[in-house]
Amino acid sequence: MNIREIVTELQNFYIMSLRSFLGLFCKPFYLRDLVEQMDYAGAGSFFIVFLVSLFIGMALTLQISIELASLGLKMYTGKIVGVSIIREIGPVAIALSFAGRVGSGMASEIGAMVIGHQVDILRVYGIDPVKKLVIPRVLSATIMLPLLTLIGDAVALAGGAYISVFVGHDSGSFYWSQIRGAMSFANIFSGIVKPFIFGWIIACISCYMGLATRGGSKGLRRATTTAVVLSTIMIIISDFVLTQILLVLLGMHS
Amino acid sequence: MIEFQDVLLGFDRHRVLDRINFTAHYYDKIAILGVSGEGKTTILKLLLGLMHPDSGRILIDGQDITDLPETGLRDARMNFSIVFQDGALFDSMNVRENVAFNLRERGGLSEEEIEKIVREILSKVGVEEAIDLMPEELSGGMQRRVAIARSLASDNPKMMLYDEPTTGLDPITADNICALMSELSSGVPPDRKGLIMVTHDVDAAAKIAERFLYLNHGKIEFDGSLAALKSNDNPGLKKFIMEILI
Repeated sequence: MNIREIVTELQNFYIMSLRSFLGLFCKPFYLRDLVEQMDYAGAGSFFIVFLVSLFIGMALTLQISIELASLGLKMYTGKIVGVSIIREIGPVAIALSFAGRVGSGMASEIGAMVIGHQVDILRVYGIDPVKKLVIPRVLSATIMLPLLTLIGDAVALAGGAYISVFVGHDSGSFYWSQIRGAMSFANIFSGIVKPFIFGWIIACISCYMGLATRGGSKGLRRATTTAVVLSTIMIIISDFVLTQILLVLLGMHS
Repeated sequence: MIEFQDVLLGFDRHRVLDRINFTAHYYDKIAILGVSGEGKTTILKLLLGLMHPDSGRILIDGQDITDLPETGLRDARMNFSIVFQDGALFDSMNVRENVAFNLRERGGLSEEEIEKIVREILSKVGVEEAIDLMPEELSGGMQRRVAIARSLASDNPKMMLYDEPTTGLDPITADNICALMSELSSGVPPDRKGLIMVTHDVDAAAKIAERFLYLNHGKIEFDGSLAALKSNDNPGLKKFIMEILI
């Protein structure tokens, strides 16, 4: 791919992303599609988010409590686990799981519709594929990823509590009091804002790659893989940028 | 009236269409023949504004649609309805929902009216019994029929476009599809609903079409009637139709 093609692709991506935002404010609204997508992205992702969060919470607590014990600071385990999960690890880990499951699903479903001429049929009927296919997916991801992150954070903290009490032999009430201490406005705000942005990024990239699918099953494979890889990279990069911005905005920058 | 004027289109330095010219009326019954990969389907996509040529003009009723944005193409597209090779049915919807899809999108009809129209059209194409089935439960022939039904439900098109309508079907099913296509385009010009079918199945084309275009290396090498097609002396075309017609 040469530079001109990359610039064209980027331009098309930005136009589609902008239209997916502006389209929220004008008719028609495809509510049935939105509900279907919310079910797929939200309820359908619950189990994987539950598992990923539980084991991340347990592994993180295990690591931190061992390191802190060697320094004689084991009592801070709950606070460090709480801050790490709420502000950073929870949003990022759940967004990565979401990109793997929902992002790949969006790209492959829309890509299959392109290859099977279903998107052409929509256009022939005068239906805007961005309104019909992209906006319900972008909106559902933007709504459901923050909700999944809230659930995932709670599950990860509960997993941490299990390790802290039953493996580290610490007091459960002390662990939870530390967690409550970590639930400041700044920490919760940081942890909630990120999933909105991640959801939007994942859905836009995945839908764009789906609509840009060319060349049969090989093209579909390429589109799906690219959607997940780009989403993953963009989640990591945007997490860093968002962290910097939020630290400054919330007055936490040293 | 459809006009292709010097239409040129290429992909990766390969000229798919090389300055092609033709005109057609909505009541014409045209078959575009050619081997696979010669750009036959591309002509249908250009006609619907789904693709744009590199140069040349495409006129629908005198309006140049070549560079029209998506929103400006709606009126031109309402003249046509297309049936793609694999039916392009929405696989998350059953037959009823597929046929009703555009009726619902356009709005203005009650659910009872939509149900009545859907049943009438499905009965017309002979697949009413499949109304509750999903696309993957249908045979190839039934998928084509449902796709035709969905096309008929959309805006009462003046002309039907068929992309390889008989490909992949057994001879009896292919004959049935041809009969259905002929029936839908029956009548006397200029009142009948015309069709453009792109196919490499000369036998099917001969049963339905009245005018034949032969596309080779991106150029229209033949444009004429069935009689002229049979008696032509273009070596490529002769070879193409030999096994079927002679």
